[in-house]
Amino acid sequence: MSNRRSGRAAVTGIGVIAPNGLRTDAYWKSVREGLTVLDLIGRDGCGHLPLRVAGEVRSFDPADLIEDRFLVQTDRFSHFAMAAAALALDDAGLGGDPAEPYSIGVVTAAGSGGGEFGQRELQKLWGKGSKFVGPYQSIAWFYAASTGQISIRSGLKGPCGVVASDEAGGLDSLAHASRAVRRGTDVMVVGAAEAPLAPYSMVCQLGYPELSTVDDPDRAYRPFTEKACGFVPAEGGALLVVEDEARARERGVPVRATVAGHAATFTGASRWAESREGLARAIRGALDEAGCAPEEIDVVFADAMGVPEADRAEALAIADALGAHGTRVPVTAPKTGIGRAYCAAPVLDTVAAVLAMEHGQVPPTPNVFDTCHDLDLVMSRARPAELRTALVLSRGLMGSNAALVVRRGDDSAR
Amino acid sequence: MITTEVTYDELSALMKQAAGITVDPGELKEAAESPFDAFGLDSLGLLGIVGELENRYGQSLPPDSERCRTPREFLNLVNSTLTAGA
Repeated sequence: MSNRRSGRAAVTGIGVIAPNGLRTDAYWKSVREGLTVLDLIGRDGCGHLPLRVAGEVRSFDPADLIEDRFLVQTDRFSHFAMAAAALALDDAGLGGDPAEPYSIGVVTAAGSGGGEFGQRELQKLWGKGSKFVGPYQSIAWFYAASTGQISIRSGLKGPCGVVASDEAGGLDSLAHASRAVRRGTDVMVVGAAEAPLAPYSMVCQLGYPELSTVDDPDRAYRPFTEKACGFVPAEGGALLVVEDEARARERGVPVRATVAGHAATFTGASRWAESREGLARAIRGALDEAGCAPEEIDVVFADAMGVPEADRAEALAIADALGAHGTRVPVTAPKTGIGRAYCAAPVLDTVAAVLAMEHGQVPPTPNVFDTCHDLDLVMSRARPAELRTALVLSRGLMGSNAALVVRRGDDSAR
Repeated sequence: MITTEVTYDELSALMKQAAGITVDPGELKEAAESPFDAFGLDSLGLLGIVGELENRYGQSLPPDSERCRTPREFLNLVNSTLTAGA
């Protein structure tokens, strides 16, 4: 490759394993149609828990996509991540053995690691004894497992890392990858996948006051409404391929979007009123880095926590940062159809933003039919619009806030 | 007490079970001097096989067993230990 560089990080590949679609096109179709797949949790050992509704990835058979030797040593969250990474690399025209392995790195964000694998091994520990715990427990539960396994499985030897910065870390990982590209790494595989729906992982979440324990899938997660009663979790995720824009053009692959700006702040666990200022500052920081005026934002993908105080803080943060434009810009939260997949939630939103710009449609917010906030929330059906720039917002239960600005690539609907 | 030798068949099955590696027992025997990593077995995979054998035969294996480089070296060490302990 030549040394010509644009300094801009381009998205050239997308891979999705989500509750509403096992590939990018299936995901987009569901998102565009406002399909909701929230349902009662059907996993073994979960029926007695007060968390009833979630977004499960069903009909995903990891054995169809991933070799046994990777399956035995990895948790479900890494299965999702490896499958999504392979889809993203294929999409970017980088499938198969890499020609220059040291030029491709991996960074993922993770919120909880491999709970299902960990539970299985801990049950052996307490049920049979320490000698019955398999050695892969040492690596499978770990936050960094997916980064490592993607790197090994795809033969990628460039700079690797994991971002553990709460749910908003999904956006931070995209910023990290974009910086790596600007600093000279050719390609980064980046994103997040989570699997928080095993019994042990679910019990860990029961202490969150923001968790919705409503058992009606259509009513469990309705942010920005008077009926908002918390959020429901989801599993799955998305991986993207990010590379220098000039390099992408040289390779002759479509630039689907560019990562233009990012900023992150921290305002403390469950302090939702304070998240207003934190999120507003993150938005301003992301706009500054992108060299983007508030009026240039054509759509906002909201965090949509579903907690009244948090929803209010987000609506006000959008108004604080975007001014009068904040009440006019279309706002959407497609995640109400699938739930919040922790660190993967804002990555899935970023994918939805890229697809929305490609297709010129703002997807709706499923299960939400009215709002009690001063927002132009897109509901019921997708809204056609010329979209050049999207703002993606994310907050975590532990207090992190982040904003990401993405710009449309050169091609409209593919 | 009947002493059972760990065979290439059993090792092949353990490689599948503990490390997800498919290798025909005949081929394993034929290539018994090849290093484990040539079959795709990493150190944690071999450690898992040692643990499974210890549980199965109710006997500790020497620390060196998880450092064996080839199937032949491994089976020789395991079987001499099991025979001595029987």
